[in-house]
Amino acid sequence: MRTLLALALWASPLVAADGQWTLEQSTLSYHVSHPLHESEGVSHAARGKGVCQAGQCDFLIAAPVKSFDSGDSNRDLHMLQVTRGAQFPLVSVRAKLPDAGLGSGTIHADLEIQFAGQTVQYKQVAFQQTAQGSSIRLTGTVPAKVADFKIDPPSLLAMPIKNDMPVRVDMTWRPQ
Amino acid sequence: MKTISTRIVALICVGLCATAIPAFAQTNNDATPAAAAAPAANAQAPSLGDLGFPTDQTKGNAQDQARLDRRSHMLKVHQRLGLITLAPLVATLIASGSAAGKSTSSSGRELHAGLGIATAGLYLTTASFAVFAPKISGTTTRGSIKLHKILACIHGPGMILTPILGAMAYNQRNSGQKVHGIASAHGAVAGITAAAYGAALLSVSIKF
Repeated sequence: MRTLLALALWASPLVAADGQWTLEQSTLSYHVSHPLHESEGVSHAARGKGVCQAGQCDFLIAAPVKSFDSGDSNRDLHMLQVTRGAQFPLVSVRAKLPDAGLGSGTIHADLEIQFAGQTVQYKQVAFQQTAQGSSIRLTGTVPAKVADFKIDPPSLLAMPIKNDMPVRVDMTWRPQ
Repeated sequence: MKTISTRIVALICVGLCATAIPAFAQTNNDATPAAAAAPAANAQAPSLGDLGFPTDQTKGNAQDQARLDRRSHMLKVHQRLGLITLAPLVATLIASGSAAGKSTSSSGRELHAGLGIATAGLYLTTASFAVFAPKISGTTTRGSIKLHKILACIHGPGMILTPILGAMAYNQRNSGQKVHGIASAHGAVAGITAAAYGAALLSVSIKF
């Protein structure tokens, strides 16, 4: 009976999927719109780890706020100031996923983002998964808004940027 | 015995209520803007320490933030004053029509000189907010701000030279002479200075 139970547990996908994931490479890019400008800040400096246990995976991804590069040093420094990047140097994202959903297709994740001294949650954010050998590539867009993080919207010529600040995510995770 | 038990029960109730009130207050303080229920805390969940960031990238620094705040504030003032300076600059250029050439008049020259002095004064104030804004170490100048700074190397000296040449031309005219020597370059220097100033303004306003 014990042997049967052990075999059943071993065969279960929940047990088989237990383990850890490491962020292999990533591209995070935020987009802001101004009546005179469209700009994008990109970071490849994110680090991440995922732990799967008992059918659930907890992922943590973080990147230094100052690692986002928009191609304009003045804009980047101003972004760092309005997001209080010196006081809160990291932007971190916690995601909770059922590990049965990991693999391919679309997955919906609840995200908890800590940024600019605020913690904001986004429910059921869709990510596309692509299997790349043993790794998984996740792409999606977090529908972030400037006001969500209580950021005073930067302005140029007395015109502030738009409230929408979508963050495009492209990550490749490999099992450890 | 019964009285003692009742008192003990009453004390426990009061104690529980007293501890519950701050607990409710704490719950309210922890509410986040979009927060409904936070993802449940999990002992297995990875922490920031697991990611191996160097300490200098994870620890906040209030002094650095204050420096950034001061820099941004000064550059905002720089931007605002720069736009305000544009008004007397354009007015000076328009008034130059009555200060030089055949249709020149004494009042025209004075109006042009007055507007020119106002422009130079506002310009120097504007520039000082950019020059004295705190510098952030380890920052390499990139993007449109680079062109903005290169253009400042043209309109900066130009904005100092233009009033000096203008004063020389003004004195020569007032003493009945024709404008001559280096003073005759006043118009050309002013034109280049105004063009560089306009381009500097556009360089950070419009994406090329």
